[in-house]
Amino acid sequence: MTKTPKYNPPMPDKNDWEKLVNKETKGKSSEELLFQTAEKIKIKPLYTQNDIKNINLEFPGIEPFTRGPRATMYRVRPWTIRQYAGFSTAEESNQFYKKTLEKGGQGISVAFDLATHRGYDSDHPRVKGDVGKAGVAIDSVEDMKILFNQIPLDTTSVSMTMNGAVLPILANYIVAAEEQGVPQEKLSGTIQNDILKEFMVRNTYIYPPTASIKIISDIISYTSKHMPKYNSISISGYHMQEAGAHSSLELAYTLADGMEYIRAATSSGLHIDEFAPRLSFFFGIGMNFYMEIAKLRAARFLWSKIVTNFGAKSPESKMLRTHCQTSGWSLTEKDPYNNIIRTTIEAMAAVFGGTQSLHTNSFDEAVALPTDFSAKLARNTQLIIQEESQICKVVDPFGGSYMMESLTQELISKAEEIIAEIEELGGMSKAIESGLPKLRIEEASANRQAMIDKGQDVIVGVNKYKDKSNEQIEIREIDNNKVREIQIARLKKIKSTRDNHKVAECLNALTEYSKKGIGNALDLAIKAARARATVGEISFALETIWGRYQAHSQTVSGVFERAMKNEEKWMSLKVEIENFSKKFGRRPRILIAKMGQDGHDRGAKVIASSFSDLGFDVDLSPLFSTPEEVAKVGIENDVHIIGISSLAAGHKTLVPDLIAELKKKNSSDIMVVIGGVIPKQDYDFLIKSGVAFIFGPGTPVMESAKQIIEKLLAN
Amino acid sequence: MTIDLKKIKTGDRRELAKAITLVEDSRSDSKLEVEKLFKNIPIDNKTIRIAITGIPGSGKSSLIEKLGLYAIKEGKKVAVLAIDPSSPINGGSILGDKIRMEQLSLEKNAFIRPSPSRGHLGGVAFSTFETILLCEYAGFDFILIETIGVGQSEFEAKTLSDIFLYLAGPNTGDEIQGIKRGILELSDIIVVNKHDGDSKIQAEVTKGQLENSLHIKGIDNINILLASAIKNDGILEIYNLLLSLSKNKNFFENRKKQVDNWIINLTLHYISEEMKNSKNIKMRLAELKDEIWMSKKSSYDAVKSIIKELKKDI
Repeated sequence: MTKTPKYNPPMPDKNDWEKLVNKETKGKSSEELLFQTAEKIKIKPLYTQNDIKNINLEFPGIEPFTRGPRATMYRVRPWTIRQYAGFSTAEESNQFYKKTLEKGGQGISVAFDLATHRGYDSDHPRVKGDVGKAGVAIDSVEDMKILFNQIPLDTTSVSMTMNGAVLPILANYIVAAEEQGVPQEKLSGTIQNDILKEFMVRNTYIYPPTASIKIISDIISYTSKHMPKYNSISISGYHMQEAGAHSSLELAYTLADGMEYIRAATSSGLHIDEFAPRLSFFFGIGMNFYMEIAKLRAARFLWSKIVTNFGAKSPESKMLRTHCQTSGWSLTEKDPYNNIIRTTIEAMAAVFGGTQSLHTNSFDEAVALPTDFSAKLARNTQLIIQEESQICKVVDPFGGSYMMESLTQELISKAEEIIAEIEELGGMSKAIESGLPKLRIEEASANRQAMIDKGQDVIVGVNKYKDKSNEQIEIREIDNNKVREIQIARLKKIKSTRDNHKVAECLNALTEYSKKGIGNALDLAIKAARARATVGEISFALETIWGRYQAHSQTVSGVFERAMKNEEKWMSLKVEIENFSKKFGRRPRILIAKMGQDGHDRGAKVIASSFSDLGFDVDLSPLFSTPEEVAKVGIENDVHIIGISSLAAGHKTLVPDLIAELKKKNSSDIMVVIGGVIPKQDYDFLIKSGVAFIFGPGTPVMESAKQIIEKLLAN
Repeated sequence: MTIDLKKIKTGDRRELAKAITLVEDSRSDSKLEVEKLFKNIPIDNKTIRIAITGIPGSGKSSLIEKLGLYAIKEGKKVAVLAIDPSSPINGGSILGDKIRMEQLSLEKNAFIRPSPSRGHLGGVAFSTFETILLCEYAGFDFILIETIGVGQSEFEAKTLSDIFLYLAGPNTGDEIQGIKRGILELSDIIVVNKHDGDSKIQAEVTKGQLENSLHIKGIDNINILLASAIKNDGILEIYNLLLSLSKNKNFFENRKKQVDNWIINLTLHYISEEMKNSKNIKMRLAELKDEIWMSKKSSYDAVKSIIKELKKDI
């Protein structure tokens, strides 16, 4: 046997490396290659042992859990593939779930329509455009029973994204199971139940903050007694990221929300170890690969620290378990198949970060609800990672990486700074009242958009390597009017066959509760659901006393101006706007409006902020407006343009209604444009209805402003 | 653009909105239209004009919403003229007032019109007074003017209103340092808002401090009230006080002063437009600049010679 020769390379010297850097970059030092992220973290081109001097030895499954909540992680059992879905009627969604479970899906995740989210029955006049659109319409326990027909609720874990109408929905689920023969203690799954982030970003709240928190603490206390396998809350950062927050904001605000829920639950008399093990998390995973992995690792460390400081003793309480979803925001309408690749990269980041369950988006979700085909691809993305790639064989494979450990530490300290700022304001509820978190997220979002418009943040197919072909993909169509008719018919039937006296009694009890705060809200809601009270009725019983919350929002300004002021395109557009002002005697005036129950206002805010920076006078209309209300504002303010932002598919009903209303009021000269998630298939229809422009996801702000101005000047 | 006054009179919101746009229009041919329009608009003295000022965050919009809703219940027709700042850098503005007055904006008997300030100082826009007259012509009898709310130099709002209301936050103790005291002393009513929850006691303390500091100065005719716009508390008291102040014997005196002010402001505006458009003055100015620069002439002499030029032109 021959011996391999010995080899002793010279001792490394960092200066030698620096010299090479200098040579390869033609004169730059490694200092100059630092890259500053949106989180204001300076990413080095190279990390070494020196960067992890202060890292402690750690094992997964053991406090502080940086490396994962379980000792063996995916080596023994991979994460749960949990695809969020729901649309149209309960029957159709039920079919979809059954198919998913047959084909490798491992749990159900229910998406509700916006009418349900906001506690309206499908026959309410305000929700005409929303029923069955961005999720399934549920009005009563009868719908819920259809939704879970032939799905055994004692063995299938069910996750429900519900925050506003959390009481009637959770109650209906419990009663549906009960009537299926499954007692509540056997139910496993998660309800989102995270109202604080709704006030910050998603806006699908119903009641004011204090009342909403009271509901949450009632649910935590009820489930900790009666539903030991059920996660009573899923504290979500996902929607913050979707609204434009960068990683440290998402991380910090999510954990700060968690702290607030702990306070609410302990103040109702529970010990932290009684409920903390049932608190779960939900993070968004975008394209910033290393950062997203570091975020999950940092989140686990920080939560363990936070919960310990609240007096937790049990390791179960300190361990952060999370669901993740790939970013919807990173999906583009242009070149839609690129989204498959984006989602794969994001899914891998979630896996390397150590998620407990994962939803991978379908490539068509930038424009519509997934089809069977796109849903299959999304599911297979996860199956391939789990079963083909061997990625699951090692726990926390990034552990010990100079870069990853260092980045995790930096993210921890950035997040702690932001959490401290929130705590100084008196905790998240108080902070939300002050408007600070919302403003911070909007600032980050405007910044991000400006970077994209400048081409500094690259999106392939959108602002670089643009694809000229206009590929149309097949999408799932929902006949919104038909769903509404079916729901209305079912509501009528329920109301004529139930014991209305009993219903009134249950609803009265809820109203009494909202007055005096005695009893448990979920317990009362379950009784009402059993008696066949509807989602709208249960919500309204509390609303009579608590009222419906109106958010007061501010809009950032100046962010685009700062980022773009030296760009030639920006300057020349401003000149055009000045010319417009001279010609028409005033600035171009645009009303940015959202209609229906769609509360996603990131896009609307970005447009308002950037257009005003360009020199427009920008009016804003209240969230959740009807077409009649938007027309009234547009007419009174005498705007040139009404810009509708739509992300929840209500446009085919609501936009023609708006145009008809303008016509009725003799105001057809107001130009209507629409932006957001609009399938190509609907373009023709909208243009024929009288829409002047449709701006799909990824349209640069300047481009839309330019088209609008030129059209106004030409008129 | 020609405005049909009959339509405004019969409640056509579209026409009223267009008329307001016209008075805000900066083009000279629009000015001619405005001149024609105002030949036929009589001055209405059965209305109440209330200007509401206070720094950002003091709750102006919330108070106006609650006050407006109450006034409507009492049979009034409410117009809210909200002035929002235009950016001095890019000229744009964000007019979010309807978001902050959601319920009021849905009322049939309410008309809310946000206007950009377009660089005009004084807390209101240049054409706010015309806008008031137009709204009154359209039948609105309870006019609320929401100033920009920078807290200082907002006194122009006083010159076009019957009642000047200063809205103070519960921590006005520190605020008094920051705002020009003058504006407090000019007001007819001071409302200390946020008399609720954690800031309830603070609001009461602030009310006491304000009373003391005004008393020391010998000012006893300013009413100081507590309110919570969010909780809809104290609104009735403010409303009743507004009504009784509007029946004050000074009412007509004040109205005449408003017209005087309007005429003076318009005159000044027309003169400055004349100056801007006069080629002679432009030339004269250029010469004068040099002469002043070389110390051949004093600034005062220069002004006199410009006025001479202007007289020739007119």
